[in-house]
Amino acid sequence: MDALDLILAAVPAADGWLGEQRRAAADFVRRHGLPDTRQEAWKYTSLAPLKSIAYRVAGTDDGAALDAPALAALPSACASPHRVVLVNGQFRADLSSLGELPPGVRVRSLAAALADDAAAIPEVFAPAPTPAGAFAALNSALASDGVVVEIEPGRVLDQPLHVVCAVAGADALVCAPRMIVRLARDASARIVEEYLGSTGNRSLTDIVTSIALAPGATLHHHRLQGEPDSTAHIGRVVARLEANATLHSDAVAFGGALTRLDIDIELAARGARCNLNGLFAVSGNQHVDHHTVVDHRVGDTHSEERYHGILDERSRGVFNGKVIVRPDAQGITARQASHNLLLSRGAEIDTKPELEIYADDVACAHGATVGELDPAALFYLRSRGVTEAEARALLTYAFADKAIAAIPLDSLRQRVEQRFLGHHRLSELGAALAAE
Amino acid sequence: MLEIKNLHAEVAGKPILRGIDLTVRPGETHAIMGPNGSGKSTLSHVLAGREGYTVTDGSVTFNGKSLLDLEPEERAGEGVFLAFQYPVEIPGVNNTYMLKAALNGIRAYRGEPELSAVDFLKLVKARVKAVGLDEGLLNRPVNEGFSGGEKKRNEVFQMSVLEPLLAILDETDSGLDIDALKAVAEGVNALRDANRSFIVVTHYQRLLDYIVPDYVHVLSKGRIIKTGGKELALELEARGYDWLTGEAA
Repeated sequence: MDALDLILAAVPAADGWLGEQRRAAADFVRRHGLPDTRQEAWKYTSLAPLKSIAYRVAGTDDGAALDAPALAALPSACASPHRVVLVNGQFRADLSSLGELPPGVRVRSLAAALADDAAAIPEVFAPAPTPAGAFAALNSALASDGVVVEIEPGRVLDQPLHVVCAVAGADALVCAPRMIVRLARDASARIVEEYLGSTGNRSLTDIVTSIALAPGATLHHHRLQGEPDSTAHIGRVVARLEANATLHSDAVAFGGALTRLDIDIELAARGARCNLNGLFAVSGNQHVDHHTVVDHRVGDTHSEERYHGILDERSRGVFNGKVIVRPDAQGITARQASHNLLLSRGAEIDTKPELEIYADDVACAHGATVGELDPAALFYLRSRGVTEAEARALLTYAFADKAIAAIPLDSLRQRVEQRFLGHHRLSELGAALAAE
Repeated sequence: MLEIKNLHAEVAGKPILRGIDLTVRPGETHAIMGPNGSGKSTLSHVLAGREGYTVTDGSVTFNGKSLLDLEPEERAGEGVFLAFQYPVEIPGVNNTYMLKAALNGIRAYRGEPELSAVDFLKLVKARVKAVGLDEGLLNRPVNEGFSGGEKKRNEVFQMSVLEPLLAILDETDSGLDIDALKAVAEGVNALRDANRSFIVVTHYQRLLDYIVPDYVHVLSKGRIIKTGGKELALELEARGYDWLTGEAA
């Protein structure tokens, strides 16, 4: 797209090392262009609809209109005492309230961290650029702000850190924030990344989250893509886990005209494990694509992955789950499942497990299912007096129930419930039962 | 209350009901008996509004309204309840929640306010004891992993919460041992009153020892071929159906 040259012309200037790296990333993108459907990893996701949009890189002024009342009017999943707000990828001190963070927990804007000591934030230029990963390279070139979370050894961030990424203001903005999460030995934290915006916004969010977990560290990473169904959202989560580190990833997506999320996990040392839980629910002409890669580099590493897709009307979903088991990675376990529910004849899902196994003592399993609502169950509910719309919503919710139940934050779960049922009476009933 | 006139229905082009006439007045219990394939379950499903059945002739009027023109949930709103022969397992849908959605759906249909979660739970607790359903099953997914007896008891429990005007019991006795049968029958009998009517569909007379009907109808090849009192069921038990259907054993 011609707009790409304009976007690359907006790469922020910087001195020395930082400037050089940004130019190198921009050059890579210029040379390779953005991916297209001839590349295997983008076979089912065409970026052609974005070509006619005259994008420009968001500036600080573009999001100025999003003040505290406007932000409060947007749906928000998590009420935490620790909140960071990015508007169009720029940190907003006026909207953020970090509250009292526990000792050993440091949360800064990327701009502040780069100003302190740019060389101490090398993750901005990871992962190494690849043609299929050109958006990550574009993010490396453009990212001037975002969030940096660092936790010292053994320290715990028990209340979730809620990172709100809002898109606002003029149409067709490119927002390229960078999230960096570093947990030192035995540290643990829970981070919620929530994406939202106002109806009709056509921005392109190009975001990378880099996660580094030292031995024994545990991170719960919740990602909720709830942008209006007019945006494009291309994200990548890159995580490296050292010995006995654990990553729980919850990726929920129901927003965006076009959403693509890549999750790349490297289980780099023994005892590392990841649990990937995904749920996407789309309708209209929405397109959502999840690509995950779990790389078992050594033995005694474990991965478990469950993705649930719900597709209505003319929406389209893609799931590609790749598991790599390196030659010496004996004694690993890797389980993967992709379950999909088609609510309409016009909806489509392409689901594909991919196993590359070079070791022999491994326990790997994968499975994919595609189905529709059970007419017998639908009739049973309706014969009891449940309206057809509510019965369909309940059965759809039931399909996603295991994925939703695994989401450990009440507020996030309620927002997801609201999305499926149009209300959250299930939670209310649960609360009433608990109060018994 | 319920008036079925000349009801004809077919499944996949095959005629199953060939002219049923039946009148049920408030407070009455009617047993529908008949050999396999006589159309008993089809009649239950047509009354409840299940898809896949085509009514080709006749009418069903319930308290002045044409039942066949209503959606299944609207029939429930009017006060019709079907206890399933094979209650459906619905993983992921909580039993209590389903019942709350059902009760509030019916109340909304009638223009009544919703019950709060607290009031609803009070009602449920009282009724679950009355029908002897294990309280632990309330918070399980609908019928999932329930034994045959638990499923049927759950049907009666749902009935007791939804308080229908007309309950259709479709082969409720199938797959039950004698103790479960008695317990289910007791639950049903506790709900019998001057305003509530029952249609008890069964192959065997056994259930009618416990749920004693006012009328017994014999269905064969899609028609009611004989109607009598409760003693007709005993006669059927002793003699089988062949003397009525005119077929050799």
